[in-house]
Amino acid sequence: MAVFISLIKKELRTCFYSPIAYVVMFFFWALTGGNFIWLLSQLAHGESLTIATQLMFSGPLLTFAIPVIVPLITMRLFAEERKLGTLEALLTTSVKVPELVLAKFIGAWIFYMVLWLPAIVYLFFQHRLAPAEVAGFPDGGAMLAGALGVMLVGALYVAIGLFMSTLTSNQIVAAISGFAILMGGLFVSMYMAYTAQSAGVRLIGQYYSSFAHMMDFARGVLDSRIVVMYITHAAWFLFAAIRVVESKRV
Amino acid sequence: MIKVSGVTKKYPARLAVDNISFEVSRGEIVGFLGPNGAGKTTTMRMLTGYLPMNSGSIEVAGFDISKEPQEVRHRVGYLPESCPLYPEMRVDEYLKFRASLKGVKHSARRNKVNEVKELCGLTEVGKRIIGQLSKGYRQRVGLADSLVHDPDLLVLDEPTVGLDPFQIRQVRELITQLAERHTVLLSTHILQEVEAICERILIINEGKIVASDTEENLHRQLQACSIIEMEIMAKKETAMAKVSQMEGLDVRNATEQADGWLWLEIEADSPTMRVELYNLAVAEGWALRELSEQQHSLEETFVQITRKKEV
Repeated sequence: MAVFISLIKKELRTCFYSPIAYVVMFFFWALTGGNFIWLLSQLAHGESLTIATQLMFSGPLLTFAIPVIVPLITMRLFAEERKLGTLEALLTTSVKVPELVLAKFIGAWIFYMVLWLPAIVYLFFQHRLAPAEVAGFPDGGAMLAGALGVMLVGALYVAIGLFMSTLTSNQIVAAISGFAILMGGLFVSMYMAYTAQSAGVRLIGQYYSSFAHMMDFARGVLDSRIVVMYITHAAWFLFAAIRVVESKRV
Repeated sequence: MIKVSGVTKKYPARLAVDNISFEVSRGEIVGFLGPNGAGKTTTMRMLTGYLPMNSGSIEVAGFDISKEPQEVRHRVGYLPESCPLYPEMRVDEYLKFRASLKGVKHSARRNKVNEVKELCGLTEVGKRIIGQLSKGYRQRVGLADSLVHDPDLLVLDEPTVGLDPFQIRQVRELITQLAERHTVLLSTHILQEVEAICERILIINEGKIVASDTEENLHRQLQACSIIEMEIMAKKETAMAKVSQMEGLDVRNATEQADGWLWLEIEADSPTMRVELYNLAVAEGWALRELSEQQHSLEETFVQITRKKEV
């Protein structure tokens, strides 16, 4: 356990030592701020307050920023260790591969959640400062469900990015392939869920569309099937990453 | 300390290590020598449990590496070939992190790190960022890392590569110092290094152990024939003919030097044949200013062994 905690600490430290973290935070937080201003202007034009959480959690932040940003966080995880040769140094100590993969996952996931902090804070302020006639909006339950959805989507995305990073020693390859899968997956599943002719295809699309899921979460709808999907799929990618690290040594 | 028996490692395209066996006993400093690509790094990676082997068994400090890899790792300090470090971390931070991975207790960590820092001459640079250190210092950080959990066995893969002569000397002195408390297996392709530090030499070539002995014994094995150097004042043709006529002597090389002396390199069945050469020179009336047995350098021994493949 002590080793595991050391590994997570090291991951977070390395993450915050790298300029990428600050560039990513700068852009994501600027985008979050912009998004919030847009949301306020929508409300000022008489939009219903229920859209607040939806605009925050399933708006452009999710569809455009996250699929680009997550691979930038995860590309380093294993590709850099391979490039530097430090993977060899790590795996000749008492560190076990599952421990290492999980520690890196948790480190990156924590950073991902740090990115979302301002969005949650903005919504919270809005909730506290809402005028009396719309008291209680945005809904606390919707905010919680939205935050949970963000965490779940993040878990899967980070797991996919981490897996791509185990496959190569080139960070750029890891980032671009991760980006292609996340962005492609997001748009293909959205297209399938909303516009496909066949009901079966639509069903598959709905099962995988993060966009559709976040729309639900942000309305306060907690669908256990979706929760299970994110957890099991993230676990599968982590398992695959463990297998790759165990077998691909040279 | 190390017992390697019948170990083979295949990569998809080639056989890297071919059925090797050797032993290293506690307290020895063994030099692991071989041309580039001979299988040194692969062998060391198997010894430290980084790479699995295809067949054979490795025992370190009494533990089988495929059955109890954790026990082995606790007892081995490994410095990989390229000396991998995290460039963004500070020296203290890195050593503490590594100590924690290697199971050094939290309470003992600070003392342990200070101890290895002092041993490796890093006390001054503890606060510096690794990426900004010189190659020599980085190598020392790597060494300090391999020592931090007080291992029984040190496996060092080319510890002096890329250092300047002064740093090389410092690292060598450090290794000699470490050998008082640890068993050391050190790979290199620099021969002087082995001559300077090691008690025993293992030579590997094309995945096979071709020699395992002390430096002196290796020389002796190769001295079935010896080389005699001779400088005389004589005509080249006659001298060559006369010497070659004698039994057990053969001229390998003859050069007329600028000052008129003739230099001969003669292959002899035994070094005692210098006496016969002296007698010959006296009988022929050649002036003689040098008559000596050529010492094999380790370099020559190495070249001969790796070329012959089997001693």
